[in-house]
Amino acid sequence: MGSTYRDEPIAGTTVFTGARSHQGYRINKLAMSLTDQAKRDAFRADERGYMAKFGLTEREMDLVARRDWTGLVDAGGSIYVLLKIAATVGQNLLQIGAQMRGETLDAFMAGRPGKQGTAVERKG
Amino acid sequence: MARIVGGIGCSHAPSIAHSYDRKLQKDPMWAPLYDGWEPAKEWLTRLKPDLMVVVYNDHMNRFFFDAYPSFALGAADRYPQADEGWGPRDFPDFPGHAAFSWHLAQSLVEDEFDPTICQEMSVDHGILSILPLLTDTHWPAPIVPIAANVIQHPIPTPRRFFRLGEAIRRAIESYPEDMRVLVVSTGGMSHQLHGPRFGFLNPDWDNEFMDRLEGDPISLTKLTHAQYMERGGAESVEIVMWLAMRSALGEKVRRVHRHYYAPMLTGYGLVAFEGA
Repeated sequence: MGSTYRDEPIAGTTVFTGARSHQGYRINKLAMSLTDQAKRDAFRADERGYMAKFGLTEREMDLVARRDWTGLVDAGGSIYVLLKIAATVGQNLLQIGAQMRGETLDAFMAGRPGKQGTAVERKG
Repeated sequence: MARIVGGIGCSHAPSIAHSYDRKLQKDPMWAPLYDGWEPAKEWLTRLKPDLMVVVYNDHMNRFFFDAYPSFALGAADRYPQADEGWGPRDFPDFPGHAAFSWHLAQSLVEDEFDPTICQEMSVDHGILSILPLLTDTHWPAPIVPIAANVIQHPIPTPRRFFRLGEAIRRAIESYPEDMRVLVVSTGGMSHQLHGPRFGFLNPDWDNEFMDRLEGDPISLTKLTHAQYMERGGAESVEIVMWLAMRSALGEKVRRVHRHYYAPMLTGYGLVAFEGA
């Protein structure tokens, strides 16, 4: 086996493979389009109408409407592009993360590893 | 003749950009990062590079999965910033150096690296989140951006990044003009941004990586992407880009500065080297 990734399972992880990029192409293309203010405004004005132009299935549109980030990753979304949807609808990475872990934001913020003292500062 | 005068490897993150824009430099959570990088900034101010070659990755801002290059080389005299979804930040465009870029393109291709060559290229937080912490001048030298695919697998192997750095060095050293060049790699360190493992941090691994990068970088080329992702989280695989900076500096390096801080979702690491 070479040093590229070949579908070895990693706990709690969905690696963004070519197969996932293929599966999630419509979702990711929709999200990518939101790197433009006018398009963000158009999305906010009529989310479903905007999404329909990208050919999303009803189920995919429902995932976006519910801000179901876990479902969107399962459907082939790349977290880096999903972030643009989040930015457009006023959510941030911490809120996404808490949902993905099945926690409230407060619970995640209280228990996140960096706050529990596992973060170390080391100089030279 | 151009020559490499130093190298920096450091994390990049939107959170760093947000902290800067919200002026959180003295905030208790952020001060250790800003204070910790200050010696690198002072060193860079003294070093006065004429050019910065930056190996980083684009986060679907200039490039998308319709045509996602494994390696993309900027060949422009100006690089605007991309709108990542939050609107533009208050910074001027980066100056570029198209003549050097075309030399680099020629040299890389002769070295059997074949990047996509971009005469228009906006750059994102892969570059813009970190440079304001390393200089008060916007900007102190032209940049030559090299964007790598570390997001959509299959991504180039760790050894490929090591060889890229060696090829960058050969290109710099064959450039006829006198020029002092800084090589920068950004990305990482440990973090995972999705799934039940969201928020994963591994400071021990991050520090081991910095140890090995300095003293035994070849060993890091022998790890698989899966091993990187297990140790540092799926999105931390981008740390392989640091190997390009390290190999560009040559076999031995002298460490100028090193800092690590992991307060939140990502291990923020920085190393600064000079050739030894």
